[in-house]
Amino acid sequence: MNLEEKLDKNLYRVSKPERYIGSEWNQIKKEWDEVRTRVVLAFPDVYEIGMSHLGLKILYHLLNKRDDILCERVYAPWPDMEELMEKEEIPLFSLEGKHSVNKFDILAFTLQYEMGYTNIINMINLAGLPLYSNERNRDHPLVIGGGAVVYNPEPVAPFFDLFFIGEAETGIVNLVDKIKEYREEGLLREEMLRKLSNLPGVYIPSLYQIDYDNSGRISAITPADGIKEKIDRQIISDLDKAFYPTEFMVPYMDIVHDRATLEISRGCTRGCRFCVAGMSYRPVRERKISTLVDLADRILASTGYDEVSLTSLSTVDYSGIHDLIRILTERYQEKKVSISLSSLRVDEFSVELAREIQQVRKSGLTFAPEAGTDRLRKVINKGIKEDDLFQAAEAAFKAGWSSIKLYFMLGLPTETDEDVDGIVDLARRVLEIGRRIRQESNNRMKPIQIHVSVSTFIPKPFTPFQWVAMVDKEEILKKQDYLRKNLRGRGLKLSWDEPDLSVLEGIFARGDRRLAPVLETAWKLGARFDGWNELFRSDIWKKALQVNGINEQDYLTSRNTGDILPWAHINLGIKEGFLQKEYDRALNEEFTPDCRFKSCTGCDICFSLDSTMEIVGADNIVNQD
Amino acid sequence: MLIRTKYAKLKPLRYISHLELMNVLRRAFRRAEIPTAFTGGFNPHVKLSLSQPLSVGMTGCSEYFDLELAEEMPPKIFREKLSVFLPAGLELLETREVSAATKSLQAVADTAIYRITMNIDDGLDEERIIKDFMSLPEIKVTRERRNKKDRVIDLKPMIHNIEIIDQAVWDFTVSTGSRGNVRTEELLRALAERFEGIKEVPEVNIERRGLYKRINDELYQPFAKKVTGS
Repeated sequence: MNLEEKLDKNLYRVSKPERYIGSEWNQIKKEWDEVRTRVVLAFPDVYEIGMSHLGLKILYHLLNKRDDILCERVYAPWPDMEELMEKEEIPLFSLEGKHSVNKFDILAFTLQYEMGYTNIINMINLAGLPLYSNERNRDHPLVIGGGAVVYNPEPVAPFFDLFFIGEAETGIVNLVDKIKEYREEGLLREEMLRKLSNLPGVYIPSLYQIDYDNSGRISAITPADGIKEKIDRQIISDLDKAFYPTEFMVPYMDIVHDRATLEISRGCTRGCRFCVAGMSYRPVRERKISTLVDLADRILASTGYDEVSLTSLSTVDYSGIHDLIRILTERYQEKKVSISLSSLRVDEFSVELAREIQQVRKSGLTFAPEAGTDRLRKVINKGIKEDDLFQAAEAAFKAGWSSIKLYFMLGLPTETDEDVDGIVDLARRVLEIGRRIRQESNNRMKPIQIHVSVSTFIPKPFTPFQWVAMVDKEEILKKQDYLRKNLRGRGLKLSWDEPDLSVLEGIFARGDRRLAPVLETAWKLGARFDGWNELFRSDIWKKALQVNGINEQDYLTSRNTGDILPWAHINLGIKEGFLQKEYDRALNEEFTPDCRFKSCTGCDICFSLDSTMEIVGADNIVNQD
Repeated sequence: MLIRTKYAKLKPLRYISHLELMNVLRRAFRRAEIPTAFTGGFNPHVKLSLSQPLSVGMTGCSEYFDLELAEEMPPKIFREKLSVFLPAGLELLETREVSAATKSLQAVADTAIYRITMNIDDGLDEERIIKDFMSLPEIKVTRERRNKKDRVIDLKPMIHNIEIIDQAVWDFTVSTGSRGNVRTEELLRALAERFEGIKEVPEVNIERRGLYKRINDELYQPFAKKVTGS
């Protein structure tokens, strides 16, 4: 029985079999024997999350544009599927051709989230490959990685042959070609990796030696002879002309973002000091409105979606946002296609935009004040005051929303009881505003609901807070308890992160290679899908850390600004001096404005990596009819 | 303009649920630029309705959907246009215009034929078993109900015919819909509980052959004049 038949006969045994069948509309299926190079893109979480990820879709279509490259997909199998695969002897397979993953030339993972690491290991194993890079040879696929957390890939570095640092559209096709060329030449793995290390953005972890001093801190990161000292992040310039797919796959099952995705811009310079995305996707680059309208037309025609989501790190900051929304709503009104925004700022303007596209009926509005007091918001550089929130909330209630979600973080640097209490205060006052407006309203409004969501702050690499200590578990519990006690009653809802999970994420976010064996042990003990509360098992992780002699405090504690951090050899293009300056300003409660609206803040991105700000959203507005 | 379409849901899509299938169709209508009619209000929906849901895992060779169009379109053109934009595993077999007054598919179809590849021990007398089974005075099984207590029901009046098609391949003609519904899983359980050598089989062994309206013991397709009145 071939794999296709085996799946057809057996998938009824697992939950959500649609995760494993592929054959979605717009899927690209090529003949295995008619191509030169075969790549499988792997997402270390379930299908419905992986299929919502824009980056992989861009790469999928970019690689498949080439006739001689076959690019397929694989997602992490849910535990019930893993069990079935084991029982029926089904190896990890690609969705399109149902090919064994170990038959491909390249197995390319995207690193999205620290708590997906055990899934990566599991997938390498299910593919029948040795886990560690140095155990694999030239007959195995090259295991490569990239993505959002690739800027500190050290905890998983020993499992990977190669990382691509930065926006992969810039170099993935060339990289794939070179890998194939060297494989065809029959180069030994080590020779091949050495040659590949010359390519821009390519980081071969095995070519860098990490030394530690007696206290356990890194004393040196030394590249092998002739290997570049720093790996520069690769950045797309002229986003407006950059490749963007229009023939998006249309999944059968309900996925997290089941709509046409239009990436209107990349990067954000608001400068929130906790936010790694705000540092690692600089500079801000926008697409032109005319380009976006054309893309939207083509995506809608090829997918049949009835909703377009304008996505970006901060959608409302797009320089032509109002015109874009006006043009799109007019254009698609008759076809009953709706427009949605992926994020809102805490201000009236955002509410006005949301009202224009009639998100009212869909769901509540979400605002992210992030911290409970004006003081703490200055520390984290979230440039809004409580009055901004009250005005935005008032506008939202008046426009008919009855439910508002507020995002906060707990455990931010310098946080006091007063700041935690500020969360309670803000939530209650927003609730009061809502109730007053509901009472005064002539329309029938549902009872006001304020949903407060608190996550735990985790210091991340390449942010001004990369040196600070993470708050410990007892402290998190205490703060969460306080909120639970004080944020109850009608109209209030509170949700929070599992503290054990946050602590673990904190360990790996700033971790180094000594954590790789911990991942292996945890995986062996059964850790999978650790980001999923129902599957997360803290007992496994405690044991895994202990068995490997790792003291978690070593990873959670503060660093000195002179320390060699595990990611010191990765060059994001942001000056370390800028991060230090921002750290100092944080402690002094000083606000640093966005460089798009005020002067340059000196992060250096526009001067260091041959990239520059591209604010073109407002340009070239032409009549689209 | 109301049109009724007969289609087949085949192997490649057997694991797609009823709601997912509706989404597949809605998106295909858009890709094919079919002039669908929408409901009014804040959240407009395509006026699409399907015949009784097919369980995940089963295939169906005569399924139906009704669609209201905002503009006239010859049924043949509709079928040709839409077919281009359907994924593999979904085949349109026939489209006819029906009068706007026609009753909904779920109200019309009261009988289904399921073809089940049985799990029967070798050497059993299949004809004998069917004869014995059909002559039982009652066939009680426990029905599990979501969020409700289990209930014992009698399948007897809802099983109309069982026919052997091939060795261990049987066609069951049973009631379906809101006025009496037989679940294949209950049918198989009833057999397995009463006859040694018969075991239950999963949904992938089952094909729904068709949906019908039963009038005086005769089966009519949802297209038939007797059913649509047009």
